[in-house]
Amino acid sequence: MKLKHSLFTRRQFLNGLLGGWLGGLAALFLYPVLRFIFPPEREPEQVLLPLADFGGLEPGAMKNFAWGSKPGLLKRTAGGDFIAFVGVCTHLDCNVAYLPDQKKFYCACHEGWYDENGINIAGPPPKPLRRLAVSTEGENLVIKPEAAA
Amino acid sequence: MNIKGAGRGVWTWLDDRLGIQAVMDFLKHKPIPQNRHTPWMYTGSLAMMFFGLQVVTGIMLAFYYRPTLEEANKSVGEIMTKVPLGWIIRSVHSWSATFMIAVVFIHCLAIWILKSYRKPREMTWMTGVLLLVFTLAFGFTGYLLPWDSLSLAATKVGTDIPRSIPVIGAWGTKFLRGGEDITGDTLSRFFTFHVCVLPLCLLAALALHIYLIQKLGMSLPQGADEEAEARRSLPFWPNFVYREALLWLVLIGVVVTLAVFLPPTLGKAADLMAPAPAGIKPEWYFLFLFQTLKLFPAHILFVTGDTVAVLAIFLAVALFFFLPLIDKPAGRKGKVITVLAFLLVVYAVAMSVWSLQTPSKPEADRIIGAPQNIRETTGIFVFLGAIWLSMAVLIYLLSLKIRETDRLLGTGYFSSDKK
Repeated sequence: MKLKHSLFTRRQFLNGLLGGWLGGLAALFLYPVLRFIFPPEREPEQVLLPLADFGGLEPGAMKNFAWGSKPGLLKRTAGGDFIAFVGVCTHLDCNVAYLPDQKKFYCACHEGWYDENGINIAGPPPKPLRRLAVSTEGENLVIKPEAAA
Repeated sequence: MNIKGAGRGVWTWLDDRLGIQAVMDFLKHKPIPQNRHTPWMYTGSLAMMFFGLQVVTGIMLAFYYRPTLEEANKSVGEIMTKVPLGWIIRSVHSWSATFMIAVVFIHCLAIWILKSYRKPREMTWMTGVLLLVFTLAFGFTGYLLPWDSLSLAATKVGTDIPRSIPVIGAWGTKFLRGGEDITGDTLSRFFTFHVCVLPLCLLAALALHIYLIQKLGMSLPQGADEEAEARRSLPFWPNFVYREALLWLVLIGVVVTLAVFLPPTLGKAADLMAPAPAGIKPEWYFLFLFQTLKLFPAHILFVTGDTVAVLAIFLAVALFFFLPLIDKPAGRKGKVITVLAFLLVVYAVAMSVWSLQTPSKPEADRIIGAPQNIRETTGIFVFLGAIWLSMAVLIYLLSLKIRETDRLLGTGYFSSDKK
């Protein structure tokens, strides 16, 4: 269908094009700004824990280490294996504490509880504590994100 | 209701409460004179544009910068090497600062030579001189923040200058440094000046400056035929704004391009005990003062050369500030004062060139900002290509708008009796 007259005037078209193009240029500049403001998350690829310091852990005992800027928790199971968690509550990101006498992880912010395997058992946490993969390489325990192990 | 109707509804709602239409009507009738001096009238808004760019990039840098003795240099290094595109943001901040200062100088000289400061615009000039001082203070305080050996030495010299003033000088130095010597406290202080005190001062002076410009209108050249000028003048909105937009766009493109190809470097963290680096120089806008200070002998009569030099500089700034009160239209000093402006330029350029004759030896292994990998390099070139391409289209569209609005002006479309 051919219209007999145009839907907008030449000036409206030009104004729209100019405004749109200016907006496009602004968006183009916004991209590097957003890249700068939101740097990529830098989770450690791996953390090495010397066996000399961590190897002597008693079964059932727990020791802290730094997983990047988050607390990591290394635990020796009753069977003698090492397991590791990111010690951050899955509810709202508070750091959790390990209560050795109760064998539970406790988050004081909103009364969240996890059992000794990091499974959420009471309170608001929706998911178990995040597990990290532990392996032994020479003199060190190597802690990696679980998928990368 | 269609989009246009909704837009008009929002506009009416806002206008009822804010009275925007009154401002727009004022801007539509604000005449910008069209004569051979008109190009200088773009310099003021350009300075403001660069200031805006400084605010944006400055806030971004402050997200990552840490103003402490241990961390300042390190955090700037991290901005340049770790934060995505951080080196470009710092580079834009540095280049935009240079452009802002240059434009402020040009703006100031143009007003001086055109004598636009004459009655009733004396206070516009004085607030302008304050803006110039604040702008230079921004440059001076910002120079310390990367905390490398050059910035330390420059700040040592700069903050020692007030000491030469009799009676109150030592107090001034102490105020600037936060103690007898430059320490971490100086850094905190300069950071606070740079990101808090100076922006507030500058915005206050700028508000007054702009208010006065709107109140008094644009000045006409000496002895101009007012009626002819009024006939020739362009309305600020929209005819002049389109022309300004064109210039802003091009200069933003130039600054970003320069920032990519010529980023500033960063030296190793300043050592408070180390000797000043050889061949040290301040930024280009302080070169002429720097060279002037070198020229003065150790003693002039009974006082030190520094005291004389610093007092002379202060006297010059004071005279500069009160220029409109000295150069009255009725007086015969007008020509002399115009010549003085040219002489000042010649002096400043000559001194700067002279001071550049001593080669500076940049220390080895400075951090140089650069793309981190081929992907980033490609991205940056694509970005530059895209902005220049869209800039070219925008320049074309703007030139169409300029032609259109000028034609409408010619037909009397904007004249006040037409609603």
